[in-house]
Amino acid sequence: MATAQHSAAPVVHRGVQPLRAGQGTSFLWHKLHSLLGVIPIGAFLIEHLLSNFEALKGPAAYAAQVKFLNSLPLVRVLEWVFIFLPLLYHGIYGVYIWIRGKSNIVYYPWAGNWMYVAQRYTGLIAFAYIAYHVATQRFLGVNLPENPGASFHKVQAELAHPLILAVYIIAMIAVCWHFAYGVWLFAAKWGITPGAKARRRFGWVCLAGGVALCVMGLASIWAFVGPKYANAPDTVAPVSRLQVTPVRAALGSIRWG
Amino acid sequence: MASRTVQLEIKRQASPDAPAVWEKFELEWRPGMNVISAMMEIAANPVTAEGRETTPISYDSNCLEEICGSCAMRINGKARMACSALIDNLEQPIRIEPLSKFPLVRDLQVDRSVLFKNLMAVKAWVPVDGTYDLGSGPRVFPQQQEVSYPLSNCISCTCCMEVCPQFNEETGFVGAATIAQVKLFNNHPTGKVLKEERLRALAGDGGIQECGFAQNCVEVCPKQIPLTNAISDVGRDVLVQKVKDFLRG
Repeated sequence: MATAQHSAAPVVHRGVQPLRAGQGTSFLWHKLHSLLGVIPIGAFLIEHLLSNFEALKGPAAYAAQVKFLNSLPLVRVLEWVFIFLPLLYHGIYGVYIWIRGKSNIVYYPWAGNWMYVAQRYTGLIAFAYIAYHVATQRFLGVNLPENPGASFHKVQAELAHPLILAVYIIAMIAVCWHFAYGVWLFAAKWGITPGAKARRRFGWVCLAGGVALCVMGLASIWAFVGPKYANAPDTVAPVSRLQVTPVRAALGSIRWG
Repeated sequence: MASRTVQLEIKRQASPDAPAVWEKFELEWRPGMNVISAMMEIAANPVTAEGRETTPISYDSNCLEEICGSCAMRINGKARMACSALIDNLEQPIRIEPLSKFPLVRDLQVDRSVLFKNLMAVKAWVPVDGTYDLGSGPRVFPQQQEVSYPLSNCISCTCCMEVCPQFNEETGFVGAATIAQVKLFNNHPTGKVLKEERLRALAGDGGIQECGFAQNCVEVCPKQIPLTNAISDVGRDVLVQKVKDFLRG
């Protein structure tokens, strides 16, 4: 380039191009990114944190939950279509959205602008963590879909490392933050909350929901690292609380006919 | 207080491809000064604080009452109208720079024609031109006037675009001002004849989907236009239009 020789000359801004009215497909890809974040990814996040909460009842109940999920019809298809592929798309397209934005938080340190930046960093933390988490817990080591009884011990062994534990805690906060503000953004951008007061109120709803999910998630982590179930056996029989209630036990002992 | 002075640092550039330089100016303080009146004084006596002769500063301005939208520039780092930037309310030295997102013409003058191209792209007008008298238009009810009037206050200053993290050369985002004008003209009883075309236009590349809802636009708008409300409303309308088009296609 001829201009490269004159280093003192500033870059001449050609300026932002005008709207390409009605042209291109980026509207579809942006809306798909936005929708997938709520359904199915957000829905799955809630399911996952609820399932994790079973860990507070102990290794057998946790194993039962893992067994139940893996007994769903077409579970491998569900897993790819509603979890892995949407996550990949949402993550990769999200990074693409991030690198095209030019943050100006230095000049305009306003609340919404901070949240704009935070949504990008929490998203990146979440994406990196989820990639690691899926690799280690789903695809490496003991195959949990085939051995649900080993699930509690596998997670406990991983969380035994303080660094990994720290990563899990940070990622839990980042994921819940990203989801809660993501739902708020979804409502704002899809025209569900067009009023300033509605957005403010819904902000409190999202905050409460996000904090609740995060507390549940952190409590589940505590179930694995706390003293109550320390040194859980390698594998347990998947038994839920429901199945060992006295009534069930009594019913089980009756010899019918 | 005869010795009270005002310090200004102004970023200057003789042409789009000339190097940028900062010049310092020191003026005698007078009551009620604003950034434009300070630059008028510099034009009357273009001498820098070091006593070196220079040229008058080039900038756009017209009404001097925050209604024409011409004099948007960055003052102490923030985009705002220079005419309503009172010297007494600013930290000194006052640093003045041109808007950063638009092609520079000279000094503080930038080419903001992209906004007008965007307004044309979404047909931000009421189509009444014809070969015969169309008569009086339909009545606009007061309830609708309440919604439309704030939107009609837009002065095309481009501050909302300057402060938007998504308005840049990568995205080619249309910006909040144009989206708010789509809401204004779509709600007009005669203007709404072009509603579907406007919504389809806004679904194009660089359209409403590029909004990241950082909400800087509504913070900075000198006319307090409810820009984020407009983006939310128009966002829904664009989506509904695209779904309709898909199902009817």
